[in-house]
Amino acid sequence: KTMSDVLSDDGSINQDDSQEDVMTPAELIAKLEEAWLNEKFSPELLESKSEVVECVMEQLTHMESNLQRVKKGDAKASVHRMEIDRIRFVLSSYLRSRLQKIEKFFPHVLEKEKSRGEGDPSLLSPEEFAFAKEYYANTETYLKAVALKRMPPNLQTVDLLKAVPEPCLDSFVFLRVKERQENILVEPETDDQREYVVDLEEGSQHLIRYRTVAPLVSSGAVQLI
Amino acid sequence: MQGILSIDMKKRRHDRLAFYASVKNFRTTISLKSYIHQGDLGPFNPGLPVDVPVWLALNLKQRQKCRIVPPEWMDVEKLEEMRELERKEDTFTPVPSPYYMELTKLLLNHASDNIPKADEIRTLVKDIWDTRIAKLRLSADSFISQQEAHAKLDNLTLMEINTIRSLLLDSLNCMFKLRSNLQPGSSKGQFMDY
Repeated sequence: KTMSDVLSDDGSINQDDSQEDVMTPAELIAKLEEAWLNEKFSPELLESKSEVVECVMEQLTHMESNLQRVKKGDAKASVHRMEIDRIRFVLSSYLRSRLQKIEKFFPHVLEKEKSRGEGDPSLLSPEEFAFAKEYYANTETYLKAVALKRMPPNLQTVDLLKAVPEPCLDSFVFLRVKERQENILVEPETDDQREYVVDLEEGSQHLIRYRTVAPLVSSGAVQLI
Repeated sequence: MQGILSIDMKKRRHDRLAFYASVKNFRTTISLKSYIHQGDLGPFNPGLPVDVPVWLALNLKQRQKCRIVPPEWMDVEKLEEMRELERKEDTFTPVPSPYYMELTKLLLNHASDNIPKADEIRTLVKDIWDTRIAKLRLSADSFISQQEAHAKLDNLTLMEINTIRSLLLDSLNCMFKLRSNLQPGSSKGQFMDY
């Protein structure tokens, strides 16, 4: 049995969600890389791309198990090994990026997740949500044990939502435009400047405040670089 | 330690992004047809050129299974023209490849025997790079001193952006913080660490 038998004839993957189009492995990896770069360069935690993560992990498991079976030929096996390692690096880096932000902004992340609407996409995967809650509980316990219980009774609580800084959406980011956007408002930096609008041409690169383009990042119209 | 780690990751990230810049392989001594996830690769027939991702090309080259064909732009005359153009213009001129610096370094380090006039090419690319970085430093400086809110950077490559990324973004974020602290009741946020 060769590796080619594992993938379907045209190498495509069917996604669980029937509304999604069938994606080729190449497209899946491209989506993973986009999500990875956006997450790395965005000041706030972005939507959880669980479908992409799950699909990639499935593919990696497939490839790993095939690799066990193919013993011959140093060349073929090591090339596939390299590819698995490369994909795994991107996936780990993506998940690590998210965990860093979850730890940094944990009360705000939990608040946002708890208060989102029914139909809105979730910010955290189920595992990340459990992690965030545990982190919150552990931090509270720690603060109590180390300092708060020795405080006068009326000072024994701390509002973590106020104590932990929020992500700064006014950070500057570099981006590349994927879909043309018109009339993006650029706010002035100083009081004597006026605000103005710019058009974002497809394929162009810009340096701009994150706040203005945050919705464009979620929609996929721009890619952070 | 932190600094070294992040630079290494950036280089790895770059290698990944240069993934799709394909390099032609010539005279492979292996013959295999493999399905690799980013699309089919091969068939690898001895003596016939084939497009592969950079990481694969370099690996095969290191195992002496192939010869690398340099990209079209890696040619002394073409690079000389580009260097002159870059020196003449005040703005950034279009680059031979969005990964010209990475490809030059990688190919010249691992496959200089397959590239004619490798030393001249190394010098030319370095000159182009130096001119562009000098322009970048000037633009970054004026961006900050004019307190601009937006910039269009079409012809800039990722490698160049990465050289000033942390400096520029941290300075801009710092300035914003200083400015917003002058206004009462502003919310303070945390900035990114690179």
